[in-house]
Amino acid sequence: MTFQVQYFDGISSKTHQAFVSPSSLSWKISYKDEFSKEILISWNISKIKKADVYTKGLVSFNFGDHFPFQKIESNDPTFINYINTSEHNSLNNKVDIILHKTINRSISYLLLFIIGIALGMYFYVIPSVTTNFVTSLNEKSVISFGDYVFKVLSTSLDINDEKSEKLQDFVDTMSMNSVFPLKTYVIDSDELNAFALSGGKIVIFSALLEKIENESQLSALIGHEVSHIENRHVLKNMSKNMSGAIFVSILFGDVNGATALLADNAHLFSQLSYARNLEKEADIFGLEIMRRNKLDMDGMPQLFEILEEESQIDIPTYLSNHPMLKDRIEYTQKIANEQEEGIKNDVLKEKWKNIQDTFEN
Amino acid sequence: MEIISQNSPEKKRFKYLGKGSEFGIIYFKNIILTILSLGLYYPWAKVEMLKYHYQSSELDKTRFSFHATGKEVFKGFIKIYVIIIILYAFLIYATQTGNGTVMFSAIGIFYLFFIFIIPFAIHGAIRYRASRSSWKGIHFKYLGDRMELFWLFIKGILLTIVTLGIYGSWFQVDVRKYILSHLSFGDLSFDFKGKGGDLLWINLKFIFLFYITIGIYGFWYYKNLMQFYVDNTTITQNGKSVNFKFNMKAGDIFELVIINFFLIFFTFGLATPWVAVRTLKFIFRFIEIEEGLDTEIIQQVSYDNYKDASGDDFLDFLDFDLL
Repeated sequence: MTFQVQYFDGISSKTHQAFVSPSSLSWKISYKDEFSKEILISWNISKIKKADVYTKGLVSFNFGDHFPFQKIESNDPTFINYINTSEHNSLNNKVDIILHKTINRSISYLLLFIIGIALGMYFYVIPSVTTNFVTSLNEKSVISFGDYVFKVLSTSLDINDEKSEKLQDFVDTMSMNSVFPLKTYVIDSDELNAFALSGGKIVIFSALLEKIENESQLSALIGHEVSHIENRHVLKNMSKNMSGAIFVSILFGDVNGATALLADNAHLFSQLSYARNLEKEADIFGLEIMRRNKLDMDGMPQLFEILEEESQIDIPTYLSNHPMLKDRIEYTQKIANEQEEGIKNDVLKEKWKNIQDTFEN
Repeated sequence: MEIISQNSPEKKRFKYLGKGSEFGIIYFKNIILTILSLGLYYPWAKVEMLKYHYQSSELDKTRFSFHATGKEVFKGFIKIYVIIIILYAFLIYATQTGNGTVMFSAIGIFYLFFIFIIPFAIHGAIRYRASRSSWKGIHFKYLGDRMELFWLFIKGILLTIVTLGIYGSWFQVDVRKYILSHLSFGDLSFDFKGKGGDLLWINLKFIFLFYITIGIYGFWYYKNLMQFYVDNTTITQNGKSVNFKFNMKAGDIFELVIINFFLIFFTFGLATPWVAVRTLKFIFRFIEIEEGLDTEIIQQVSYDNYKDASGDDFLDFLDFDLL
């Protein structure tokens, strides 16, 4: 078998029209030089290096283990066929030959595979890895992270020491079984808000505290926040959000602005829905704390009713990180209705009075 | 066998013969391998894609070859990422101390490092790419001096700041001239004849006309810029210089950019390999070497076996692509 190739000797750029006769041990290359003299070259097969990438209608090989390398290049279909069917593993790549046989089908399979991996990573691997990571973090690290965030935040917060102390007394009386040391702060502010930080810090805004009517409503709020702390919601939400965002930006970052924006927004929606699930989990866990403390669980739906009255506009559920208040009233009321009548906790009632006393002055 | 005198020193056109679907297979296959290996396969993926582009580029009926290996690029990749992780760790550590002086000096060191390393990275990247690129069995070679390039950068950055950006055009021309005049291909040498003043004029026209024409002038600007870079590049063979020529019209660029945009936009990026092939095909079509170059008598001189790909990897990290 003889095939037509272009041969380059590595010394000059002269193109030699040559013939190659391959055998299982060596390739014999022959061409005529400018004086029509026949030149014969032998390539030992173990030193032939194929071009690593499949290009249709072209094969090329280098030869030699040191400089200058010789080279042949050919678009002779019979030679290409010989190479593609060669038993010699170093001369062709079987996977590439199969992939390039039916180009469109291969592309569809590859794409489906990519989409599959991407969805699997985003919806399964990342959430479970981050959740496991956060759950396995030791308490010390969780607390020191919360302390760091609080240190940064506290400079802009107007902490009311007296109210904070009374609220702390209330929380200490409740039975929580918390693994984290709970510390409460009341902030002088007109905003109706409250939040929890990782590792045990709970911040309640004074305006919200003043709207609360009884000890069971307050314990509903505290129970909800404690549940965020106990279940490490802040860290879970943050690490899932960050790793998801990094994944999305790696996947779409290099594509173009519009697609990246679309992908970012899709990620934001999915993240909001995740955050809402955490809120619901906190509500239900909070009700459990109330039951344990012999408090009227109706306090939870009542608290949401107060918030509903105060909030002028309710953001549609899909745009908010909290479930809609109507939904929350409904599902917490349902659970509260299962509780027997006439439940009360006189000790906490007393503590609540102490907090209320601070409002008058 | 007929041998037509291939020595005829006619004009020489570049051609890109790749196919979107063929590159698509390579591209998607490598994405999968990169994801499954959590990014570690990236150097091999990059090398295979570059090899495809080289092997699809033709001049004088012969393809280019790229001889880099995934292993070489991987070593550089690891080196660069270790350095970058250390830098970030240092930065995070410094911001956590809460000490203003420590913080600002850390940020300063961080950015200065990135600025100072760029000329070294460019030097390494070009030297590596050149030594690994060949055509007709002849290799490219870059023999610039990294310290010379470094001082050229320092001078350029300082003067650009002092002149409020005006010197920037001269700076760019100086760097290009330095790199091309130290690049050779066998016994051929390259040079760059552009003038900073001409580049400044191109940039000034852009600043004045871009807003007036609501951005449409951008296409002319890109054409002028490409033309400035390509037309001023020369190759010298046996003491005789030959020019490169760029023949594109602004309308051609308009067509390229708009169609590429729609292709990417409506396929959410899946058309990326087709767009890459289209763009290379398009640009190569317009680059030619003028009469006078004999591509049959180029002699191999010596070989610069430069194995360090870290410069190339660093520029890749900054999303700065050569070629």
